[in-house]
Amino acid sequence: MLVKRTYTRRQAGALLGAGFAALFLSGAPRAGEAPRTHKIDIRKFKFAPAALIIKAGDSVEWTNHDIAPHTATDEEGDWDTGTLSRSQSATLTFKTPGTYSYFCAFHPQMTATLTVEA
Amino acid sequence: MINKKTCAAALVAFTFSMPAVAEEPMNDLEIAHTAYTAGQIDIRYAHLALALSQNEDVRAFAATMVRDHTAVNDAAGALITELNVTPQDNALSQALVKGAGEKVEELTGLRGKAFDCAYATNELGYHQVVNQTVEGKFIPNTTVEPLKDLLTDALATFKQHEKHAENMVSGLKCS
Repeated sequence: MLVKRTYTRRQAGALLGAGFAALFLSGAPRAGEAPRTHKIDIRKFKFAPAALIIKAGDSVEWTNHDIAPHTATDEEGDWDTGTLSRSQSATLTFKTPGTYSYFCAFHPQMTATLTVEA
Repeated sequence: MINKKTCAAALVAFTFSMPAVAEEPMNDLEIAHTAYTAGQIDIRYAHLALALSQNEDVRAFAATMVRDHTAVNDAAGALITELNVTPQDNALSQALVKGAGEKVEELTGLRGKAFDCAYATNELGYHQVVNQTVEGKFIPNTTVEPLKDLLTDALATFKQHEKHAENMVSGLKCS
């Protein structure tokens, strides 16, 4: 999913930091790597992992294991999995780097972050 | 084994009134019936809140109650079908229904902040008592494993509701 968003200064700083970290700390270059699909489980009213770092072009699959329906909803409203009933999954692809804070629209105390690196 | 009188007394402690019930153990089918009934009652309260409250937080909470308790009760219904059993009505379920009828009548006469506070406070107390009962009595005394699993999963949901209700009461500044 192509997501347009504006960044706060803090987010831009984090992004730059992440970019430098990726530049200096990562091993093989990203070029030529196939996009990956990362899995996030929703269980007992928590996103696991609660913080995930992916590369631009990768996808994330959320699966709800609770009886209660959940969502993964971007705080700024740019993306949303829609309602996930028990055992349902939704996959979104992220092309735009940024740090995304998200939550469950039905249970706002459930929060997590997704960082998309260039 | 579960003790009806103890459970009923605990559930009644908050707002309900009920007749005395005999001290007999509840079986799996009675536990299933009471758990389902408790969910239906909370859905009933939530629909009332959606009809009467103008408060965004209260309405959001009520919508969550409808959504989550419906999901839990749908799962219970599926389990009942799968096991080919019929939940048994019992004195505790009947007391809950009677108490809920009285509470609905009381809430129906309220408006504005008075309604919001009464609804929110009732939700907090209701979930506290139901959670104590499910955790301390229903789950330990259930012998059918799939029902025990369902009650355990449901309890995780109800505990979130309790926290949510606590925040709602605090946010409304009712006292």
